[in-house]
Amino acid sequence: MPRYEPTICPYCSCGCGIYVVIEDGTVIGQEPWAEHPVNEGGNCPKGRNPYQFLYAEDRLKTPLIRKDGKLVKSTWEEAFELITEKLKAAEPNEFGIIASGKNTNEDAYTIQKFARVVMGTNNVEYCGRLCHSSTAAGLGPTVGSGVMPVSQIDLETADCFLLVGINPKETFPMMAKRIMRAKEKGARVILVDPRDTVTARELADIHLQLKIGTDVALINSMMKIVLDEGLENKEFIKERTTGIEELRKHLASLDLEDLGDISKVPLDLIREAAQCLAKAKTASVLYNQGLNQHTTGADGIKALASLALITGQYGRPATGLSPTRGQINGEGSGDMGCLNVFYPGFKKVGTGAAETFEDLWKVEGLPREPGLTYTKLVDQTKYLWIIGTNPMMAIPDTDNVKKALQEKELLVVQDIFPTETAELADVILPAATWIERTGTHAYVDRRVQKITKLIDPPGEAKPDWWIVTQIAERMGHKEHFDFSSPEDVLKEIRRCVPTYKGITYERLDKTPGGIQWPCPSEEHPGTSTFFTEKFNTPDGLGHLQVVDYKPPAEVPDDEYPYYLTTGRSIFHYHTGTMTRRTPKLDDEIAAGYCQINPQDAVAERITTGSNIVLRTRRGSIQVEARVTDDVPEGVIFLPFHFSESSANKITNPVLDPACGMPEYKVCAVEVEVIE
Amino acid sequence: MSDDMYIARSVDEDILAIAESGGVVTSLLKCALEQSMVDGVVTVQSPNRDRFAAVPTLLTGPERLPDTAGSLHSTAPNIARFVKEYLDGASNMKLIIVGKPCDIRAIIELEKRSQINRDNVTLIGLNCTGTLPPSRTKIMLVEEFGVDPDDVVGEDIDDGKLTIFLKDGSSKTMDLTELEEKGYGRRDNCRRCEVNIPVFADLACGKWGTEGEEEKSTFVQICSEKGRALFEKALDGEYIQAKQPSTEQLEIRQKKDEAEQARAAVARETDFKPIDEMSLHERQDYWLKEFSKCIKCYGCRDACPICYCEHCLLEADRNFVKAGEIPPSATFPLTRLAHIADSCVNCGQCQDACPMELPLAKLFNYQNWKLRDIFEYVPGVDSDQSPPLVNAMDIEMRIDDTFLDIAAILRKDKAKQTDG
Repeated sequence: MPRYEPTICPYCSCGCGIYVVIEDGTVIGQEPWAEHPVNEGGNCPKGRNPYQFLYAEDRLKTPLIRKDGKLVKSTWEEAFELITEKLKAAEPNEFGIIASGKNTNEDAYTIQKFARVVMGTNNVEYCGRLCHSSTAAGLGPTVGSGVMPVSQIDLETADCFLLVGINPKETFPMMAKRIMRAKEKGARVILVDPRDTVTARELADIHLQLKIGTDVALINSMMKIVLDEGLENKEFIKERTTGIEELRKHLASLDLEDLGDISKVPLDLIREAAQCLAKAKTASVLYNQGLNQHTTGADGIKALASLALITGQYGRPATGLSPTRGQINGEGSGDMGCLNVFYPGFKKVGTGAAETFEDLWKVEGLPREPGLTYTKLVDQTKYLWIIGTNPMMAIPDTDNVKKALQEKELLVVQDIFPTETAELADVILPAATWIERTGTHAYVDRRVQKITKLIDPPGEAKPDWWIVTQIAERMGHKEHFDFSSPEDVLKEIRRCVPTYKGITYERLDKTPGGIQWPCPSEEHPGTSTFFTEKFNTPDGLGHLQVVDYKPPAEVPDDEYPYYLTTGRSIFHYHTGTMTRRTPKLDDEIAAGYCQINPQDAVAERITTGSNIVLRTRRGSIQVEARVTDDVPEGVIFLPFHFSESSANKITNPVLDPACGMPEYKVCAVEVEVIE
Repeated sequence: MSDDMYIARSVDEDILAIAESGGVVTSLLKCALEQSMVDGVVTVQSPNRDRFAAVPTLLTGPERLPDTAGSLHSTAPNIARFVKEYLDGASNMKLIIVGKPCDIRAIIELEKRSQINRDNVTLIGLNCTGTLPPSRTKIMLVEEFGVDPDDVVGEDIDDGKLTIFLKDGSSKTMDLTELEEKGYGRRDNCRRCEVNIPVFADLACGKWGTEGEEEKSTFVQICSEKGRALFEKALDGEYIQAKQPSTEQLEIRQKKDEAEQARAAVARETDFKPIDEMSLHERQDYWLKEFSKCIKCYGCRDACPICYCEHCLLEADRNFVKAGEIPPSATFPLTRLAHIADSCVNCGQCQDACPMELPLAKLFNYQNWKLRDIFEYVPGVDSDQSPPLVNAMDIEMRIDDTFLDIAAILRKDKAKQTDG
């Protein structure tokens, strides 16, 4: 008998509700869940096709162990034995574990605890490093917290939006909906994006189509205009911020014409945008990878937050800088401490945090030094355990990644499919996913929602928290991993992470749309707006930041004459592991492509459908060309979902020194047509 | 007096205790299940008693019937789709299906398309004056009524007013027009809807016409022999008791219906007149601008209870609409319009499912009102009438011009008839 069960979409961090229709233990369909406050019954193309991947033929169903070079079926016991034996030989700094933005909080918590308690290292990371590490580095010093400070539902109350390096029509459609509603009421939308995206066409009133990688110069010019014209919010600056004199002095030393020469945006358009923002009652600043994924990503975010501060756009519903997390648990895996520098609840790694958690966990000798960041973990550890993330597609210069992974003493990959990374593993562990297990996630606006187990995982696949717990037990830490259900794990999370204290399964089951942390008690309704009285900095003030424009690490030259930039399509999700196994999404876009401007296409004798080679200093890929005005002259856009033309084979592995973020958004590329 | 109209009441104390107005529908379902008249009943149920989240449910025994009693206004489950998609169109089981007028109309349209087996279903239609969008309504309850949505135990939409009943026994009433001007109130398809009493079902049940009764009762109109059989079985089996309504009660029922129809006509005028007043170019621009918001999720098509093709022309692999592109070309919504507008029952499911909030129900409903005069066809009210898209009128058969100005031909034809 078919029954409708509410759940949350497995893809991005909007956290949309859907009903899955289940009959005889199998999902047979999906229906709108109109009560859900985020999406109110609507879903994007991915959200409309959320379950087919569960049934893809190549789901991992049993543990696999590499024997004589081949991955062969094994048992859990054999796999555990092998892993345990190897890990017992590992020194703390030789081990690393990488979690996912798709893990549940319960999974992520268990994973970081394994690294710290069992292995004695802070070598734990998750793929948040690759999308929002610059957020933490940029917003930490400025406002004290890198989370979205408002509720996505309140966005529709803004009368001005500044969208920086974000394409919400494709990557956050439910936020695009809020912006559209606000526009109906007269809101203005300023977009900063080098590409003429569907967001630019459908939502933007002012499109600042900057030269790629010049965000800091553009934002500095906006700030300069605001201050020069006296449009700043003087009261807010006085009451709530510090550092205005240094900022004024710095901006006074800059020349608007010079900045305009860098960003290539006409000054009058920048002025119009600056005025629009400064005069808005309620301005919302949304930003994403276009700003983050640069060697100067943290700088760009500091500048942008300073712009919001001097215009007084912080501390009220819909205002402030909202970093837009791309994954279902993009926020939560960080909350749980799957970062080299944070214990759970963003307790900075150090003696204080270590002592706190030694107390909470009843252990001794927790690591006090920061661990390695994601890319360095991949590169430098001897024993690496990768859970639900796919560095062979996700980090730049994948040929080098492959070499590093092949050299591991032990590479354990725990996933739902034989990913590009899993193919290199010594041991593959089959994981349960989405509605095959119970757990919570924290979505973009700190909205914690529960996904309840509705069907059984295939074969012998198991939930991540269970697998980690089993290995911890075998490593001699049974008493520290005394979890027999995800609810046991949540209980410990609530004890150790104060912002989650009031969040229970029972409450979540009764609350469509979930509860936004901080939620300090079971009576507390959750917190939709941050920074209403003070910022999370030690002195409670917003710290205005002085930053200078620095060019991207690699810019076009004679040999590599074009800019290459990467990004996403609405029809696919990240490294394509799930969406490319979803027939309807695969029907929309089945293979990789790149976008090239018509002028460049003429010069290179490329037409839509031409098979071309993109070559950078890292290597080359073949891909089909699409000729379109969506990209400006001199820029080639390449989506990163497709392994056969993997964008990150050729992107630049150079990192933002502030946070370890690779510069995915800019490198230099050469184009060659295959005749 | 006709023997089609009754004022009835359940005789089951347990059912009466939880029923909205006399418990007849629940008792009819109980009778049918206990007497094995059917294999199952399709009704709606609120998980955890959440009034804002009802889902369609198939019950094959009477045990869980109490969970489905009462009425819900802040939810609009897609019942026709449930039967078509997940119960195989009742092809191999006998069902009673309970629904609002638009649900029943959708089922009748599906039956015409051989997607639901009419012989296997008995339709119990419920009077309806509209439903409210759940998410928005919860905000309305807080902002406008000043109440916690969890405290609401009932709603009523009558005489242009929305009344909510609260846990503590109190109630609050507000003017619907005022709420709707603020962007709250009923789903906009409901505001335009002219069908309050589903006389095209086998039984039409509601509370209009029970005014003056000492105890809460259900007004039942028997609309078919199938309906009569069920009603009589329940009477004979002493599940319900019934009496004839007074002339006064019948008049009240009719007047209430007429008043709601008049309100709907005003709503249609409000929605349609601005479009009518646009030039054709303006109209095209208006709709193309709306279409450009589309992100090609297929939510509208999937939600449409009338759509049924197994391999839809609009699927990416059919190469009809270019794959992998948003917004898709206007061919996408226009093809849907061409396929559905003749039979659109204004259920609003397409618009509810649209993440980009295109006014799709308005488009389809508008087009349907234009077409219904031309083709003398009202969707979903007469099982014997086949849809214009698959059925040619005599007059159409006489068209020898490829340029189909049917309205002009119709006018000419009518003029001829008048002359004749």
